[in-house]
Amino acid sequence: MNFHPVRVVATAALLALLGAGCQTVNTTETAQPAFQRNMVSEKRVITDSSLARKVQIQGVNVSEGPGGFLKVQVELQNTTRSYRRFAYKWEWFDKDGNLVDGPASVAITRQFEGKESLFVQGVAPNATVRDFRLKLYENAR
Amino acid sequence: MNRHLVSAAIVVVAAALLGGCASSQATYVDPGSTRTLTNVGEINVQDWNMASEAMINSLIAKHINSGNLKGSGPDGRAVLAISRIVNNTSIQIDTDILVKKIRVALLGTGKVVADITAGLGGPEDPLAAEAKREAQFLGTQKVASRPDYTLSGKIIENRTRQGNKSESTYVFQMALATRDGLAVWEEEKTITKQGKRSAVGW
Repeated sequence: MNFHPVRVVATAALLALLGAGCQTVNTTETAQPAFQRNMVSEKRVITDSSLARKVQIQGVNVSEGPGGFLKVQVELQNTTRSYRRFAYKWEWFDKDGNLVDGPASVAITRQFEGKESLFVQGVAPNATVRDFRLKLYENAR
Repeated sequence: MNRHLVSAAIVVVAAALLGGCASSQATYVDPGSTRTLTNVGEINVQDWNMASEAMINSLIAKHINSGNLKGSGPDGRAVLAISRIVNNTSIQIDTDILVKKIRVALLGTGKVVADITAGLGGPEDPLAAEAKREAQFLGTQKVASRPDYTLSGKIIENRTRQGNKSESTYVFQMALATRDGLAVWEEEKTITKQGKRSAVGW
């Protein structure tokens, strides 16, 4: 094999430039977790397939405390190798399907590194809430 | 003839295109969305939203939903009064932007009522305070003399600059104390923003 030194340097420089924007995350956890999540089956409506490819929902678990407030936790993963920003918003519904609005129903911006997973948590605004919806937004600009 | 027609058409199309670009009309945006304006040196609508959401969720999850809330108000609801919220930033802010959202959310839980007759700078509602004093004096109805909980807080700012990049960090701290002066809930939310100049959205 005959490597041209200029080509080798140029390729290395290009790879370094491409890799500069990527910072991925390695994680470790116990093989048998001490907790058991109450995972719920979900229906997904995907209108932005670009965002759905980059930010994937790994699981949704729901719990209820002694006060009767619904608590939802969603695990999201950045499937790309680069730093990503996204926003999410919770919507809450009572047993009749009516929207229960409140000051906490706002879009929250989050960021994660490449391949990193994170949890977003939401707590129902009151004890009449029986259902929820999570909206995910990609940076439009 | 044809040349005149083409010229006229070009002028009309250019005018139509420029007309669309030159629009300076104000537009409405959802204050709960990420389309509001943000910059590094100020606490913007999105920051207040994020801080209040974190405080409300934490207060409900850690104190109300856990069943720790004890109240002496109507229907066993807890009576809350707002104490001092210190602005330790270099900018002038009205802390009610944060406090009101928290109060509205707590009232919405059905577990808390706010006492607007108690306050460090005087009662928020002087008429309600007078009516309460009167009811206490006449003994016509049972009126709670002291709130069950008080909410206090502090907003702290930290600014850094490196090269042409600037960074602002705003730390929102809040605590809920009982009548005994014991803090039963505390939360801190830190929001950090970086930028070279004012930018729209995130």
